[in-house]
Amino acid sequence: VPEARSRTSDRGRRTVPVILLAASLLCLTISTRSLAGLPEQVGISVFGFFQKGFSAAGTFVAGTVAAIAELRRLRASYDELAAKFERYTNLERGYSELREENERLKTQLGFAEKLVYERIAARIVAKDPENLYSTMIIDKGIENGIHKNMPVVASQDGIEGLVGKVVEVGRGSSIIVPLYDSSSFVATRLAKMRYEGLVSGQGSGDRPIIMRFVKKRAKDEVQFGDLVVTTGYESIYPSEVAVGRVRSMRVLEYQTSIEIDLDPIIDFSRLEYVFAIKAASATGAGTVPQEPSLPPGNTR
Amino acid sequence: MIRSISLSTVVLVGCILAQSTWFDAISILGVVPDLSLIVLIWLSYTNGPVEGAISGFLAGIAQDFLSSSPLGFNAFVKTSIAAAVSLLHGSFFIDRLFLPFVLGAAGTLAKAISIASLSLFFGDKVHSYSFLDRILWIEAAYNGLLAPAAFFMLSLVKKLFSMTQGRE
Repeated sequence: VPEARSRTSDRGRRTVPVILLAASLLCLTISTRSLAGLPEQVGISVFGFFQKGFSAAGTFVAGTVAAIAELRRLRASYDELAAKFERYTNLERGYSELREENERLKTQLGFAEKLVYERIAARIVAKDPENLYSTMIIDKGIENGIHKNMPVVASQDGIEGLVGKVVEVGRGSSIIVPLYDSSSFVATRLAKMRYEGLVSGQGSGDRPIIMRFVKKRAKDEVQFGDLVVTTGYESIYPSEVAVGRVRSMRVLEYQTSIEIDLDPIIDFSRLEYVFAIKAASATGAGTVPQEPSLPPGNTR
Repeated sequence: MIRSISLSTVVLVGCILAQSTWFDAISILGVVPDLSLIVLIWLSYTNGPVEGAISGFLAGIAQDFLSSSPLGFNAFVKTSIAAAVSLLHGSFFIDRLFLPFVLGAAGTLAKAISIASLSLFFGDKVHSYSFLDRILWIEAAYNGLLAPAAFFMLSLVKKLFSMTQGRE
């Protein structure tokens, strides 16, 4: 009996430090609030890994099949590009002159300080498995410098436009909510007339995004194709990033504001690569290489 | 039973991963079919309430990690559908075309109802289908059309998922 008692107390003694360690860890976790968002973070890290594998396999098969047709297209593209190159060489000369002039005018207008945004390129590897949510998954995460609420932009046809923002971050992948999601809201303004409004999506990339709460007096000035950009009022999105172009307008007599339907600048159906951006530092004018570009015909 | 549940969960998670990565290529008007739902319906109908509910719950949690939906959203939806379908367990003989189509389409509508019931309690925090919107009806039709082929494929490997297999 004394031997059995000694064995039990031995086991008890060994358990006490383990319990105390666990308790201290628990206290630490609760006191630092490290648990907030942790399950989601671990989940996306684990499943994001498999998702990348699935995406890579799909890309490989699709790429192999497409490679044969691609070769034929390449030949035609080569000839086309050679002709284009010649034209662009001529255009470049004019562009350099315009750029210099732009820098001069900027300096004169007093745009002394501008933020430079650091960009992290990422590839879209998956989309939401359901039709209800419209999230996208990118192949970059915490270890690449991605953080929650980072704005995401993309370039298409030479124009840079807003894609959405990061809502969940894993180790090697992150979830982004696009502009057209019904839970997405962006403070915007008409680039030319400067009227402000709030843009929200309708849950599908096929449908227009809607700019609400625009002053009624803007109805006579708004024109089809007008550019809408971010205001930069929120802490999330930088200013002057292109959001969409005016498609149509609704004027309701009983409301003090108008609603404008916009076509997003980004065609989400062919979106492959995006940039997550974070404010890096302030610098002088003339060193803003990544400033959001405007389409031809629009000037600031 | 554990082996069967594990295998079912792995298959369901595989379907979810495939949906999120590959199915964009076969979407109709931007709507992708819900293969994991079809497989879950088959599992629940074939094996009864326990296996379908557990594997549905686990797969739902995995899906929540891959989506911006709140944690537990898809777990609830999948568990409730598995529980509902398992009530029919063994009631009918599943033919090749008609019943799979009905189960696939009705399962999608059941999913929409389950989500609508969640949105009553959680409001804007969860997204729900609009019953007047084309997305729900296209998905229901797509799932219905996909179900006969999926059920046929699954019936070929039925023994792997059978709960009695482990006891034999």
